[in-house]
Amino acid sequence: MCSRWLAVSKHCNVLWDRPPGLSTASRRQARRPVPLLILLALAASAPAATRPHYGGVLRVEVRQNIESVDPPDTGPGLADLIGAFSITRWEAGRRASYAADDGAPGGRPFLDAVEVQMGRPLRDQSIDLEVGKAEVVELGPGDARRGAAGRRMWVSAPVRIVALVFGPRVEDARIREGLALAVDRTAILNVLLQKQGEISAALLPQWISGYAFLFQSSADLAKARTMIAAAATAARNLSIGVEDASFRAMADRVALNARDAGLAVTAAAPASAADVRLVEVQVVSSEPARALAGIAAALGLAVPPRMDSVEALYNAERAMLDGFRVVPLFHLPAVYGAAPRVRGATGISPLGQWKFENVWLEGGRP
Amino acid sequence: MTFRTRLLLIFTLAVVASVGVVEWLVQGATRREFERMDAARSDALVMQFRKEFDRRSQEVVSAVEGIGRSDTALNIAISPDPTSFYSEAGALAAAHGLDLLELVAGDGAIVSSAEWPARFGYHEDWLLEHGDWAEGQAFLRRAELPDGVTLALAAVSTVAAGDSKLFVVGGQQLDQAFLSTLVLPDGMRALLYRSLQPAFAAEQMLGPGPRSASLQALVEDTLARKRERYRVLGTGADAESFHALPLAGYDGAPLGVLLIASSRRGLAELESKQLRYGIEVAAFGILMGVALGAWATARVTRPVERLARSATAVAAGNWDTTVEVTSGDEIGRLALAFNRMTEELTAQRERLVQAERVAAWRELARRLAHELKNPLFPLQITVENMQRARSQYPEQFDEVFREGAQTLLAELGNLKQIVARFSDFAKMPAPEMQPVDFNRLVGQTMKLFEPQLAKAGIAATQELDPAAPAVMADPEQMTRALRNLILNAIDAMPQGGTLTVRTRRMSAGLRLEVADTGQGLTPEECGRLFTPYYSTKTHGTGLGLAIVQSVVSDHHGRISVASAPGKGATFQIDLAAEAGD
Repeated sequence: MCSRWLAVSKHCNVLWDRPPGLSTASRRQARRPVPLLILLALAASAPAATRPHYGGVLRVEVRQNIESVDPPDTGPGLADLIGAFSITRWEAGRRASYAADDGAPGGRPFLDAVEVQMGRPLRDQSIDLEVGKAEVVELGPGDARRGAAGRRMWVSAPVRIVALVFGPRVEDARIREGLALAVDRTAILNVLLQKQGEISAALLPQWISGYAFLFQSSADLAKARTMIAAAATAARNLSIGVEDASFRAMADRVALNARDAGLAVTAAAPASAADVRLVEVQVVSSEPARALAGIAAALGLAVPPRMDSVEALYNAERAMLDGFRVVPLFHLPAVYGAAPRVRGATGISPLGQWKFENVWLEGGRP
Repeated sequence: MTFRTRLLLIFTLAVVASVGVVEWLVQGATRREFERMDAARSDALVMQFRKEFDRRSQEVVSAVEGIGRSDTALNIAISPDPTSFYSEAGALAAAHGLDLLELVAGDGAIVSSAEWPARFGYHEDWLLEHGDWAEGQAFLRRAELPDGVTLALAAVSTVAAGDSKLFVVGGQQLDQAFLSTLVLPDGMRALLYRSLQPAFAAEQMLGPGPRSASLQALVEDTLARKRERYRVLGTGADAESFHALPLAGYDGAPLGVLLIASSRRGLAELESKQLRYGIEVAAFGILMGVALGAWATARVTRPVERLARSATAVAAGNWDTTVEVTSGDEIGRLALAFNRMTEELTAQRERLVQAERVAAWRELARRLAHELKNPLFPLQITVENMQRARSQYPEQFDEVFREGAQTLLAELGNLKQIVARFSDFAKMPAPEMQPVDFNRLVGQTMKLFEPQLAKAGIAATQELDPAAPAVMADPEQMTRALRNLILNAIDAMPQGGTLTVRTRRMSAGLRLEVADTGQGLTPEECGRLFTPYYSTKTHGTGLGLAIVQSVVSDHHGRISVASAPGKGATFQIDLAAEAGD
């Protein structure tokens, strides 16, 4: 467990020792260690005194309907199961079963198997965790804040990028920029996200890039109104859609902010092609260039060929965000709740990847 | 138009007017009664609405106060960071049966909103502007929803915990469901207009039935005047009477209009039936009126007609005509008066005839005396001369006697002629009618007078119309009349002149004219010309023109004279073609 923490810690500290092209203040912020990781390390050290148990099936629930068993479409955790576990059943979009691999490089996992149920709403997941129908579930902001007796919570670094993505129909850049300026990210973070995550107008999280704070994220309603008022009336009617129902409240708030700025934003049906989509993209790597490339690929943005320096990376990201086709809003952590009988190390990595090989269940085989 | 027709028309018009007035009065009374009932029904419905409003208000107040007393509200009020409660309102609203619920912090910022969860952090300044909220009172307010604005029955409860404060603003929408709770009688409907926008919006009109353009005017009028309005919209059976009540918010601003509509179909049908019955009654009344009028007018006019016929008979000279008196009323008294009048007229006529007869005899005596006195005076003188000659001049007696005898004979001849004329006038026989060719008669008569006319130096002219018809007449009497007129003309022209005799065909007969160029007549002379024994001449009996008039009268003709002094005179005799029939 300590080696895992050290690896993460070293990774975070070493990455931008001297970020070129940044100011002193920016460098100071870039050097700041991530406090969340310290908490993770402390949390992981606590159950180490408990004697591990072999056996048992870890039931995991996720929101997504994962259609492919192959990465990168397998979501944040499934790909990382491979190695310690081998897949035994796959029902696309519904459920998957993994069995412990006796020949795993790090040794056989404590768990006999992992069963993953997909497409489970957050609210249901929380209930399933409470009633013992699942051992590991994703937690929404409200659930994470409330907590529960004996429940463990695994929180990653901010690795989920929540952003607005404009469709091709929204041609007027003033509309796009106006909406970007209208969104009151602070209110959303404080209330809907319960202060989990970070406000950001950048694609890469601050803890990876170190320069995310350079992208303006504060709202400017007056300027937004001016820009939108200059646009054609017909262009001021937009529809907003969400891919995940848990983002519906956030989309409603964005629509409300947009209305204040002079836009008429209506909620689109989930399956429809909305003018604006509120999407979530997972950071797949802690290495900035790879992470940005992954994000760009996920958002359909062009990936620059070379990002071998901080300046190049910064410029590449700035270029991606020019034109406001994509408006990043938040960087959120992956938050999982684990039942009290789940013991062992923290079940996720700082990137939110599942690490179940060092997790066991109390009451498993002695 | 006869009196009877006029009376009948008056009678009929009176009946029609009476029926019309009754119909109008009945319709007016019916309309007033209907509108009174309509107003009563509307008032009842308004009362029902108010009761329902009060009941709902009480429900809302109870729910809001219940939330205000809850631990959740207290926790939110005392929480230093209430952001974690942003989703509480939805659950609380559902638990307390509220459509709308907002939990608002003491600074006016929305902590949680059930109707629009995304509005957290927005400020409800109106809560702070109003100051202290009285507990237990509900009011109307506009509430914002994600898809628009709605009208809500709301209440506010204040949760105070130390320095912290929380406003609980809950309510229920005034929507179609609210209207559906009203129990509406047949023919009535309730509509609710929610004034959620500055301009009228048709989609904010809730309730069943059609919405005419004039409904918009009523709503706008009610909102502008902020008081109850009443108006009838539509026409005929589709008309409806609308009572519009403004619904005010907590600050008195009108936020809605309740419209209670009552169909006037019943009134229209009732009026239609009344009109039909009225027409039928009027038609029957007119028929009855005509029948009764005919009977009544006959009763009234029959004695009047008898009177009229009697008056006509009296006018025709039948002066002894009387009217049968059948009643003692005004008509009977009129008949009595008429009979008295005719009796008096008859008596007066007899007295007049008597007087005229006496006057005629006196005139006759005067004329006789006058006519006889003229020849008698020479007779007396002649006899006295003969006596004086025998006594004083015997030698001249023979000669005086011879001359005297001639004079006596001449004057006796005059006396005989005078007597003969009177005898002729007295002996005027009835005419013996036969077709008479007046052109021929004129020619023959004028031939007789040719020597006399030539001696008097008078030129005779005949202007005879060849188209003059033959007229039934007595040729001998007409010849005598023509002769008298010719003699009269000769006498009028002692210095000679022109005598013109004309015949002319008239539309209904013949005109015979005798014109002279003598000295003419004055109007007074013309008026008395045909009076017997009247003469403008120094000689003559004055019977000539009287005889002419008598003859013309016996032939049912008419004689007239046109004359002016110095311009001669023209006598005209008009005879009908069938004269004497």
